[in-house]
Amino acid sequence: MPIEPAHQSADDPRVTLDRELGVFEPVPPYPPRTEREAEFYTLGDGEMFINMGPQHPSTHGVLRVVLKLDGEKVVDLDPVLGYLHRGVEKLCENADYHQAICYTDPLEYVSSLFNEWAPVLAFEKLMDVQVPRRAEYIRVLSSELNRIASHALFLGWMALDLGGLTPILWSFIERDEIVDMLASLTGQRMLFNYFRIGGVNGDLNHDFMSRLGDWMSRATVQIESGNALLNENEIFVRRMRGLGTIDTATALRMVMTGPNLRATGVPFDIRRAHPYSVFPELEFDIPTRSEGDCLARYLLRMDEIKQSLRIIDQCLHNMPDGPVMAKLPRLMRPRPGRAYAAVEGPRGQYSTYAISDGTDQPFRMRIHDPSFIHLQSVGLMMPGHLIADTMAIMASLDPIMGGVDK
Amino acid sequence: MTVVGRSWNRLTVPGKLIFAGLPILLVMTVGLIVAVILLGGPVLDVLSDNVPILRFVVAITAILLITIPTAFLIIYMEMKIIALMNLRIGPDRVGPGGSLLSVVHGLKVLMKEDFTPTGADPIVFTWAPVVTYLAAVMTLLVIPFAPGFFGQDLNIGLLYFFAIGGLSVVGLLMAGWSSYNKYSLLGGLRAAAQVISYEIPLTLSVVGVILLAGTLSLNQIVLNQGGWFSNWYVFQQPLGFLIFFIAATAEANRTPFDLTEADSEIVAGFATEYSGMRFGFFFFAEYVNVFIISALTVTLFMGGWNAPFPWPWDITLALDPGQLGVMLLILVAVVPLILTVAFAAPLWMISARIKGWQALLGGFVLANLFVVAVIGAVAYVGLDWVAGLLWFLGKTYAFVFLFVWMRGTLPRVRIDQLMDFAWKWLLPVSLLNLFVTAAAIVIVDSVKS
Repeated sequence: MPIEPAHQSADDPRVTLDRELGVFEPVPPYPPRTEREAEFYTLGDGEMFINMGPQHPSTHGVLRVVLKLDGEKVVDLDPVLGYLHRGVEKLCENADYHQAICYTDPLEYVSSLFNEWAPVLAFEKLMDVQVPRRAEYIRVLSSELNRIASHALFLGWMALDLGGLTPILWSFIERDEIVDMLASLTGQRMLFNYFRIGGVNGDLNHDFMSRLGDWMSRATVQIESGNALLNENEIFVRRMRGLGTIDTATALRMVMTGPNLRATGVPFDIRRAHPYSVFPELEFDIPTRSEGDCLARYLLRMDEIKQSLRIIDQCLHNMPDGPVMAKLPRLMRPRPGRAYAAVEGPRGQYSTYAISDGTDQPFRMRIHDPSFIHLQSVGLMMPGHLIADTMAIMASLDPIMGGVDK
Repeated sequence: MTVVGRSWNRLTVPGKLIFAGLPILLVMTVGLIVAVILLGGPVLDVLSDNVPILRFVVAITAILLITIPTAFLIIYMEMKIIALMNLRIGPDRVGPGGSLLSVVHGLKVLMKEDFTPTGADPIVFTWAPVVTYLAAVMTLLVIPFAPGFFGQDLNIGLLYFFAIGGLSVVGLLMAGWSSYNKYSLLGGLRAAAQVISYEIPLTLSVVGVILLAGTLSLNQIVLNQGGWFSNWYVFQQPLGFLIFFIAATAEANRTPFDLTEADSEIVAGFATEYSGMRFGFFFFAEYVNVFIISALTVTLFMGGWNAPFPWPWDITLALDPGQLGVMLLILVAVVPLILTVAFAAPLWMISARIKGWQALLGGFVLANLFVVAVIGAVAYVGLDWVAGLLWFLGKTYAFVFLFVWMRGTLPRVRIDQLMDFAWKWLLPVSLLNLFVTAAAIVIVDSVKS
């Protein structure tokens, strides 16, 4: 009941309300703009809206999903993006080629090196730069470490979204060790800003190598023990198996890449399909699984960790001597032209399309981010499942909102 | 308007009642003590004529008071044990080993703002935590802690336990409905579905024990399990024990069945809109529930306060300190000194690096421990209830540890899996258990007679 302002003393904490607040009203203040919007925001019999995010504990950042529920069953959903939009592509167009790289770092902040690698590769193609072999090996080494860190984090979040408390802290130990050693290599713990056009920022140092050797000696055991907590857990496996299944044709239609595609049985890995850097020289397998459900996506990532360890081992054995940076002019003005480069990241294909107009800034730059692409398919996977499963499906796709909103 | 007046106006109606009632209670208690001291006989006569009422009041007060340290202890156990399982350190700042952190949590909860969201039903919203908390606490009344240590020995104790324990779902449903929040509503309805479903296997699983014991009185059930540990009902009812344990976990909303407050799905479930001490009551009720289901498991299946073996020696200690006379004073003055020096001497001799005062300090600590151990041993042998309480609490906290362990290890099940498990597995299995038990009893009886 509204309180009359006349009776309200100045220090009364109660606020005068002229209308009922407090319950989430998802209908936009504008009339629906599309048929889809009109259909979604009309409630059927016994249905209700529930607003998940942007402050929900397990939407992996600031994703907001408006769910249309029938009891606990999800009937339909409407993801609302853009809470973390920073306009990275436009920012890159107003910076010179060196500066553009550091804007791409915070896109997917758990796998920064891959975000850097795609624009660096594109710019190198624009400028015809020959990267020294040692630099290439260091790039592969550090980025595979970053892939393990990212997958370890995925494992933890996956378990946390299913209600397990322990795996996230165990996997954070893994991630912390890797991030610490990368910090001693690159100087930062999270947004490394390590790759440069024509090489990397600094050579391998003693601190990094000793930490890496120390970690490599027990990495396999640690990761196995972390996995054993979930892989043999009946509750976990029962919840994940057959959940959020997507078949190969649909996955290809939704432009999925990376582990999410490989979990449907397509052995597509850019490191093999369109080789870059020194990957043709390295031996590793492309793990695939045919089920296409959440469990397959989870197990596939765990297999990838083992392959990454193999690659790191080979990098350490084959590391050539030499410079880590090509000789380049300080101010770069590539010829007018266009270049496209893609790398295989922990979530899929990170790629950059850059157009040069002959000045020292990219004329246009477009970033393809796997998180955004994968998030599209939640509309296909979630309806028909329960609320608890929406979180599991979301976690199994492993989106990072920094990359989704760019 | 003064500060006091303003604060008074902000209190809810129950708050005003409690604040008005507390001084009256205090005056009455002090008055009773003064009256006993001054008047002596007549007052004590009145009290001794009404022992059942007095016993009831004392039991209620003791049970209300015992929940607070119990909840604090279990919260601390949970924080520390899960931290160790997570390879963290856990609380280590407040008190020795962080043991006072849960007390600080309690104080924090008391000092926080207590608000009701717009649109909530204030009366139901206020009473929901009270219902949940009291439903949990009142079940403690029938649990036998030790020989002679129980609130009331009801002959329908087990029935009372399930009847009152089942009330907690009313509180959760009230909280979920009155919060005016869809997450709360989902949590409340989940609680209703879950607790009511698991009530059935829970109750059916103990019917086997009731058949074996022939009574509903928890005290009698414990007495039936005396002697060697093979008399415990867990060995005659292993299936019933398993069903009971699983269903009790669901009943108390503990991992892996903590769907009512699944934080990764429905934020905090029924407690989403609660803050301050109202949330504190829910929090307390959860941990008291853990203690209660552990205690009931121990009582029904693990022999309650019985030791796993019968005490082999029949020792009667007849110590009367009055007989010693003046010697008592001399002993009190001399024995601590002698003990301290006796324990300090080997410490001092063991290493040259230990200084004299350090050795004395260590000796003092060791002497105290020795005295405590001796007194404890004497009490264990001489007093039934000390031994019983020790065994009961030991077993109960072992089960509490099991619950904490499960929380650290297991993920959460889904609501449909939860329901399937209750109706498709637990219910048929508990019926089978009941059938087998009844048949076995009939056969054994007919063979004997």
